[in-house]
Parts: sequence; C-alpha cells; structure tokens
Amino acid sequence: MPRTTDGRLGRVGLLAWFLAAGSAGVSAQEYHVDREGENRVTFRSRASIEEFEGVTDRVDGYVLLDGERLTPETGGDDTGFYLEVDLASLDTGIGLRDRHMRDNYLEVRDHPYASYEGRIVATEVVGDGRFAVSSRGKLSIHGVTREVEVPCEVEARGEGYRARCDFQVLLSDHDIEIPSVMFLKLANEIRLEVEFTVLPATPER
Amino acid sequence: MSIPQMTRFLIPATVLILLLPPGVGAQERTARWQRSGAPTEVPVTVFHSTQSANLPTAETLGRGEWLFEISHRFLPAVSDGAGALWGLDGPVYNRLALSYAVADNAMLGITRSNLQDNLDLSAKVRVLASRAGGIPVMAALNAGVAWNTETPAVFGIEDNERQAYAQLIVDALLGERLALGVTPTLLNNPRIADIDAETAFALGLSGQLYLSDQASLLAEWLVSEDRPDLGHDAGTFGIELETGGHFFKLILTNSARMNPTQFLGGTPFEFSAGEWRLGFNVTRVLKF
Repeated sequence: MPRTTDGRLGRVGLLAWFLAAGSAGVSAQEYHVDREGENRVTFRSRASIEEFEGVTDRVDGYVLLDGERLTPETGGDDTGFYLEVDLASLDTGIGLRDRHMRDNYLEVRDHPYASYEGRIVATEVVGDGRFAVSSRGKLSIHGVTREVEVPCEVEARGEGYRARCDFQVLLSDHDIEIPSVMFLKLANEIRLEVEFTVLPATPER
Repeated sequence: MSIPQMTRFLIPATVLILLLPPGVGAQERTARWQRSGAPTEVPVTVFHSTQSANLPTAETLGRGEWLFEISHRFLPAVSDGAGALWGLDGPVYNRLALSYAVADNAMLGITRSNLQDNLDLSAKVRVLASRAGGIPVMAALNAGVAWNTETPAVFGIEDNERQAYAQLIVDALLGERLALGVTPTLLNNPRIADIDAETAFALGLSGQLYLSDQASLLAEWLVSEDRPDLGHDAGTFGIELETGGHFFKLILTNSARMNPTQFLGGTPFEFSAGEWRLGFNVTRVLKF
C-alpha cells in the first residue's frame, strides 16, 4: 500500500480527527484510474543495435485533487496520487525477451509493480480543457525508489480526465543491471510514456 | 452519553489518532482506491529454449513468432587433432530449420539436413504448463514426418525413404535452475537402408543447469535400440548462451546426426573421448 513517509503529524492528525468525527467538510475529489479506459504504458529502449518497446494496459491507481476539478490553483500538499503498473504484463512482442525482462531485469516476482506516488506541484491551463500538470514524487521500480518530477498533459474528458506523462528513467538509478558481457541490446536510458484515464471515484469504483 | 463520558472517550481517541504513525497519511485516510486483483501471473518456464541440442523441449514460441536455426556437426572427431583443426576442417553436416508459432502453445517446423537430404515437417503442441506443488512442469506432444531424397543404394528401398516419429515431452524445473526432461519416442523406419519399416522405441533424457541469466550447461542422452550402423546411444553435452532472442549452443557429442528421425535412431560412434565431435546450434527468434 502507498505510504507517505514525511512527517506531517499535525495536519494528518487534524484530518484524521475530522474524519473520525465524521465532519470532513473538504471538497476534495478522488479520481480512480478507469480500468476499462484506453490506458497504455510504453517503455522504449534505444540501444546501438536494437530498438524495442514494451507495452501494457495494466495501470491502476488514484488521483486526489484539492477541489472538485482541475484548476490553475490545483497543486500542493492537499493533492496526491498513486499510480502503479503491473510489470509482469509488459509485452515486448518477443516471448524470450519478455522472460528476460521479467526474470533478469525487473525481477517481477520480487517487485511485481512499478509505482509513482506524490503530489501535483502546479497546474497550468494550456487550452480549452487542457492542462500542463507538473508532479513530484517517488518513483519505485525494481524495489529502488527515486525522487522524480514528471510533467503530464491532462485533458478534461467527460466527468474525468485523460493524462499523458512522458519522462525518462535510468536503469542504473534503479539497480537494474544491463548485461555487459555480450550483445548489449538494452539502453540505460528508458523512455516511459504513461497514458491513462481517471474518473471520479464512486462507492462502486 | 453524558458530557463527561464523551470527554472520557474523545480525549483518548484523539490522542490515539494523533499518535498514529505518520505513515498512515492523509492519502491513505482519504483515498478509497484499492488494488483490484493480483498482479499478472508470470508464465511457467522450464527450459528456456524450444530444443536442447537435438531433443525438443516442451517450450514453445509466442504466437506469431518465427525461429530460424542453423546448426553444424563437424564430422571428424576432436581426437583427429590439429591437422583436422579438431574437426572444424569438416566435412560438416548442416541443418537449417524454420519454425512458426501458430498459437502460444503450438508451433510448426520445417527442417532440412544435408545428411541424406532429410526434409522434416513437424508439429509441437504444449499441453500442460503449471506449477505442481511449486515445481514448474511442462508437457508437450511432438510429431513429425521426414523424407530422405538421397537414399543409400540398396535394392528395394526406393519406397522406403519416409520416416516418422511421435514424442511425449515432460519437463520439470528443480530448484529454479535445473531443468530436466524426459522424451519417450516412437520412431517409424529408423534405418532407411532396411527394406521393412519397423517402429522402434527410443527414450530421450535432457538436462540443463542455468548458471546465470545468459549461460547454462546442457546434457542429453538418447537411449536407442542397437541396430546396424547405429549401434550406440547418443550423448551430448555443451554450453548455451542466450540473449533474449538468440540461443548459441556449443556442444560435444558422439552423434553427428541432427534431424529428428536421424538422431533418434542412434549413432555409429561410441560415447568415448576419441569419438567426440564438435557442433553448434544457433537460433534466432524473429517477429515480423
């Protein structure tokens, strides 16, 4: 389960107290990833010999806004999100490569999910119903957690939003070893594209 | 509840809440989201490659994938020494193969060896892949038919160039690193120089020890009936390197026969150091 590690005892306690007292008057809105939506996580490796990508639609999680909707004021400690990707579902198109990726690089049996948890830093309106959202948080892959900043393009779509986040990770930052002896076909710089749809959380969803 | 009673209840409750560890944060309190379901199950793996040196494994390709193979067995023995470059001078038996996966658990193959111009068509279907009591187990059926268009000059065998085989393959992975396989086999017409096409039994045993994510040691043993010119069981051992698309196998063996109907009949050479031959298999997975 996601956990925040920095101490904000006062606010946490106060909020918890409000919740416990059943008087949470905060107009925050929780959005959940729409599992039936067109979600897509892609990683791209461009090594000198070979270029390939891996794809999955198994992304899940939530986004908490400090208000009902995304506005230029959205951001800060009252926002939050947690997103996770089911790594064993990544498909590179070649079964043998998938097995190497699962068993040798990502070691999915020990680390089945990659996750990104943090806060919205700032929101900028860039068009009609379109936003540039910057986020900061903890990216955890292969059991190694790094502080990162990720920019996302977000578009209002019906009751919810569609987000597209594009960023780069270094495998070396997450203790993922690249075979160095022969046939180096995996780049250290991996480009990640995460596209997902969120809908307002309902008691059923 | 009277006011003092409420106070008595509320104060400890508030203190308790305030004392909750910071890890139980605002997000956890407010986000109702919960993970739905377990992560994707990792597919069962026993042998990494679809074949050992000569024997098939129960592994198959992913649907739509092709596998191209080129393999050599050097006919002179390693013991022929530097003069024959330990066999590498040749001549060699050559084998070219192309397989295609029609489904995730089924593949078709066409294989050509220059030994008697053997052309082999085969089909393999994986029928089981599970973790039985924590041990990854796989089973497959493999069958094929082969034609030898360059038959030996023996009177009466002109119509005897066709051979066929059917195999059950059962593989298991022990301790995450040691793959073991058993391949009971029926082989029709093992010796095309015979006028009658008998059906014989053979038993393939294979093992592979995965040392790292790229290197492994492999061994094979084929128990076959003693028959003229093919009087010995075939033993093979070697190393395998894999890259996630390629397999390179470098082997020592007392059999230079590669296509299934040829290998499964046995070998003319004893399993002794003086009869070992060098060989290699290279396979590459392709997807278009």
